[in-house]
Amino acid sequence: MQIRIDQITKTFGRVRANDSISMALEGGRIYAVLGENGAGKSTLMKILSGYQPADSGRILLDGQEVRFATPADALITGIGMLHQDPLDVPNLTALENFMLGKHEGLLPKRRTALTAFREVGQRLGFDLNPDAYIDSLTIGERQQLEIVRLLSMGARVLILDEPTTGISAAQKETLFNSLKHLAHEQGVTVILVSHKLEDVEALCDQVLVLRAGKLVGERAMPISAGELVTLMFGQSLERKPRPPAPKGDAIFEAAHLTILTRRLTVHDLSLKAHAGEVIGLAGLDGSGQREFLRACAGLQPPQRGHLRLHGRDVSRADYHQMARFGVAYAPSGRLEEGLVAGLTVVEHFALARPGGLWIRWGAVRSYTQKQIDHYHIKGQPESQIQMLSGGNQQRTLIALLPDQLSLLLLEDPTRGLDVESARWVWEQLLERRAKGTTILFISPDLDEIIEYSDRVLVFFGGRATLVDDPAHMTTEGLGRLIGGKS
Amino acid sequence: MMLLPLLVSLILMGIILSSLGKDAGAALERFLSGALGTPNARVDVIMLAVPMLLCASGLLLTYTAGLWNIGVEGQVTMGAIFATIIARSITQEDTSPFIVPAELLLAAVGGALWAALAALLRIHAKVNEIFGGVALNFISVNILLWLLNGDWKVGTYPQTADFNTPALLPRLEGTRFSPLGIGLAVGAWLLVFWALNHGGKKLVIPGLNRVPVVGPILALGVRLLNFLAPRGTRWGLQLRAIGRSPRSASLLGVRVNRHILLSMIACGALAGITGAVQAIFVRGRLSPGISGGIGFMGVLIVLLVNIRPLWVPLIALFFALVPIGSLKLASSLDPAVQIDASLGNVFQGVLVLGVLLANGLRERAARKRKENIP
Repeated sequence: MQIRIDQITKTFGRVRANDSISMALEGGRIYAVLGENGAGKSTLMKILSGYQPADSGRILLDGQEVRFATPADALITGIGMLHQDPLDVPNLTALENFMLGKHEGLLPKRRTALTAFREVGQRLGFDLNPDAYIDSLTIGERQQLEIVRLLSMGARVLILDEPTTGISAAQKETLFNSLKHLAHEQGVTVILVSHKLEDVEALCDQVLVLRAGKLVGERAMPISAGELVTLMFGQSLERKPRPPAPKGDAIFEAAHLTILTRRLTVHDLSLKAHAGEVIGLAGLDGSGQREFLRACAGLQPPQRGHLRLHGRDVSRADYHQMARFGVAYAPSGRLEEGLVAGLTVVEHFALARPGGLWIRWGAVRSYTQKQIDHYHIKGQPESQIQMLSGGNQQRTLIALLPDQLSLLLLEDPTRGLDVESARWVWEQLLERRAKGTTILFISPDLDEIIEYSDRVLVFFGGRATLVDDPAHMTTEGLGRLIGGKS
Repeated sequence: MMLLPLLVSLILMGIILSSLGKDAGAALERFLSGALGTPNARVDVIMLAVPMLLCASGLLLTYTAGLWNIGVEGQVTMGAIFATIIARSITQEDTSPFIVPAELLLAAVGGALWAALAALLRIHAKVNEIFGGVALNFISVNILLWLLNGDWKVGTYPQTADFNTPALLPRLEGTRFSPLGIGLAVGAWLLVFWALNHGGKKLVIPGLNRVPVVGPILALGVRLLNFLAPRGTRWGLQLRAIGRSPRSASLLGVRVNRHILLSMIACGALAGITGAVQAIFVRGRLSPGISGGIGFMGVLIVLLVNIRPLWVPLIALFFALVPIGSLKLASSLDPAVQIDASLGNVFQGVLVLGVLLANGLRERAARKRKENIP
């Protein structure tokens, strides 16, 4: 099936997620849609698979214009999407999930379904037990089930969103083999949405690169990882010379840290951070940088290894204890895990500031007003936090941080801010650095990492590489590490 | 904002009554005169509102923290049982002034323990407080029945003997009016109001002082409320933050589990005192079904006011009207208005559903408006 995407545009608030994107995809080929977080990959794929409508633009299948009201509409015309977390019903069996969504009257034909299930599964080399309950399956098996289901419902275009996150190497190989079989033998169009270069290299015939909502390149594989990275991140400015970090004492130390989570293991990470140093944590989303940052904040207890702050072992300290030791953490999900929707700005300050049983509203209110003025937050002390724009929520999050800190941990500190505001936030942060606060921050923006970090810790697949030579802090140099090339 | 659902419920009740062949207008009149017509009836309404207000005050704390403390029934029952431990041993000759306070205190401990159990199950075993509460309710009822059929049974029925007067909540000579009971309930409500308030507006009722007798008393109450209004506690704010987003609250430095436990314990203590009031005031002995559904009534009240403390006493009084008024209807000899007393409960249920429905519709409208903003 041939797909043509013509001038698709989608805007969320002030963000243009897709900016008149046009592309043509042929049947029987495997495409990679590559791009950093927020590049617009997921938005485009959701439009293509009927989860959300585009603001403007057309989708043509074999020359016919189509409009989808729901994902089911898209599936009827042959486009099926496999989500990162497969959308299945947990307390049903594999076979029952397979039968869901089929329109075959009141009484489902269990036996016919079982035959079809076995047949499609075998053809793709999947070994799925039809009677297993979903909760007992691994993510990899649930993906296989979803692929079988989509194909049996007539999908001729298969969109996979980050399918290799959280599955084993063997499952990945099975998956890739079956996808190759589907595309090259059966003419299915496969679209892989990913930011993992090694997956793209192993699987795809053609790569489409998105950056900031625009299609910035289309290449036939194979091409070099360096070229892909440059396409993804763009040509970067030279690192501006800056006064070297005041080399204070090593106040924070991670020694042979191992963090196990459901999706990822961070292996044997060691780092010594000095007072007044900014360390950028680079890496594609889900490479372990977030897990490390959360471990430093006391939110994710490490399995092995030690964390030391000012010589004190804090490996087992929880978030509240860490806060007492002068560690603060600003998460990236603002309304999910940073701010409380329904409370006002002044109430946030009242919560975050230490104090006794009573709240001295007068004092809190004047402090809030001071911070609002200082951080240029567009809002009133009595504004409900969710009524503020994303950028102003981000400023509030930064404004809520305590004054005196040893260690400041930031996830994407300038998310949603325009260039001017971002620069201003960094001025504030660098002021803290000058006072001796150590800053660890994650950013999906390589330019930001290069510009503000004294050293960079690059994560790939749970392993971290320290880059401390400014000469290597270039898009090219870091990009190779981010893509898993040494 | 509660008027529309109230009106809808009244109309619905009118339709139900008419379809039963009753005279709705006459029924309403009889209902009101039954509940408010005589001094005795008015006292009954007020005293029935006491346990409701006590219980609802406690529930305000847990619902603010987003905890559906359905186990409140069990906490009331345990309070009644714990109060009875002291009450059943009191003789007519005992005169200590500490008897009733000791009963109330022990009841508070009993209710708090039962609530703490539900909270610990939620915190450490990830058992949702609703399911834990339902299970604990069931267990508490069986403990009650086991006691009443065993050691505590006096006479042929599964119940204790009537408590002796020194064990009872004191009341004014010759009436059912108990200033101590009212003081307890209003005091508990004021404490909760204070704990939860967040710099609210001051209440102004013009001309209140000119109303004879009740005016100055109410004016004093309003002044107290206005004194409390701008002074919030940190705890109330923390509970509100937990109720809205436990994750964000935790990252802002709130010790979520600790405050979940504390709010459950505080609610349980008030529920326990409610149970004591049921035992040593309403019934005068421990008998099956001692909680009398007061716990669930409290839940309805808190849902009805959408967790706003200010309205709770009013709604509690209103809810207390219904059973007393409908009892009058049920005992009426006139077939045009005689209905079963349970229809009063139907009315309460319809009202709560109406308010919840109105809230839901309003939220949906607000979301729609928000989505339409480009």
